[in-house]
Amino acid sequence: MDWLEEELRRALAREDPPAGFERRVRQAVAQRRFPARQWLAAAAALILAVGAGTGYREYRGRVAKEQVKLAMRLAAASANRIQTHVRGVLQ
Amino acid sequence: MLVYLTKTGCDFEGLVHEHQAMVFSIAWHYLHDRALAEEVAQEVFLSLHRNLGRIESDAHAAAWIRKVAVQRAIDEGRKRLRRPQVTLEDIPEPASGSSASDPMLGSLLRRLVASLPETPRMIVVLRYQEDLDPAEIAEMLQMPVATVKSHLQRSMALLREKLARRSSGAGER
Amino acid sequence: MKRFIILICCAAAPLVMSGQQAKLNLDQLQAKASEHLDLNLNATTLQFAAKFLDADDPEEAQIKKMVSGLEGIWVRHFVFKASNSWTQADLEAIRAQLRGPEWTKIVGVKSEDEDETDEVYMRTVGNKMAGVAILAASGKELTVVQISGPIDLDALATLGGHMGVPKFKLPAQKPK
Repeated sequence: MDWLEEELRRALAREDPPAGFERRVRQAVAQRRFPARQWLAAAAALILAVGAGTGYREYRGRVAKEQVKLAMRLAAASANRIQTHVRGVLQ
Repeated sequence: MLVYLTKTGCDFEGLVHEHQAMVFSIAWHYLHDRALAEEVAQEVFLSLHRNLGRIESDAHAAAWIRKVAVQRAIDEGRKRLRRPQVTLEDIPEPASGSSASDPMLGSLLRRLVASLPETPRMIVVLRYQEDLDPAEIAEMLQMPVATVKSHLQRSMALLREKLARRSSGAGER
Repeated sequence: MKRFIILICCAAAPLVMSGQQAKLNLDQLQAKASEHLDLNLNATTLQFAAKFLDADDPEEAQIKKMVSGLEGIWVRHFVFKASNSWTQADLEAIRAQLRGPEWTKIVGVKSEDEDETDEVYMRTVGNKMAGVAILAASGKELTVVQISGPIDLDALATLGGHMGVPKFKLPAQKPK
């Protein structure tokens, strides 16, 4: 290997990204998985739409179902994010 | 705090930790913009997260991540539609000859590499940062091995020429 | 400032959830948030909703299993226009409500520059798990989840399938 190749290897050696990069990736992953605004809008739209053409009990049941699903997804996203955060700290 | 964690399946956090330097450096050396390089690196890992189900092993993960990093860096470079223009006047003189530990020389070389055209630039990065041989580079960039070798030879010749002109005093003020 | 609020409450939602687990007071956060979601589901609603969850749908089947023994779920999610809208003082006001003898903090993680704080509290009655509270604050969002009743946190975190995430293993809680 000649001199220039050696210098290029040194000049192009891998460097770590700026401090906090891993944490920012975790946050980006969490936000992508949990796009709050989209869920809020979807929840509102679903609850409005679900009433069309159904009996009242059926309507209430489907609304309740969507509420429970939304609640569990929000809870799951939070729990999952915390797991990822803890994992990052312990590494 | 009492929390016990066990590793299971494909470890996304571990992959980020292990490969962040590679991904960031590919983007940084190609784009010569640290902020942009971090954005690209983040996108690469978001893409990894979306595609975790396709990863079959640690080795597969490394190859997959590198390939996506290369593609994203190239895409970002095309979006910007420009590369750093480096003239001899912009280049500070190395502290002394060809010292292996001269940080100025390293900085100069990085800028010269970043001023190469798109394809040769990535080939040089993959060759000298990632230590890939021409056949591996050819497979990654989907081009003939002969083309990779040709780009490498021309790029090295160009870099040598620019450095030689600088040391010969062509750029002295 | 335009505010977007979704308030989804069960009719006549009680202030106190079943099993004497009181709802946390988060009014100070609501005042600062640009968007706010409040879900308040008691045992009646959960049982009713469970009848409509589809056992053939993997996610709904998982949810049906998880909510079957629960007495209530309360979720409040806040979105702020700017980062740093929530403060450590806000979080401390929440923590103060989780310092009773039944509550134990089992997870506490904070990022270096404190824009990410995550905590999990477990409530035990006798020698049994009676609920959890999750506080997840990051950037422009803050979520507080209260679940009354026994919940598998491991199953919760993997709801819907989250590959690459390690699992919680909680130690057995000794009676105080």
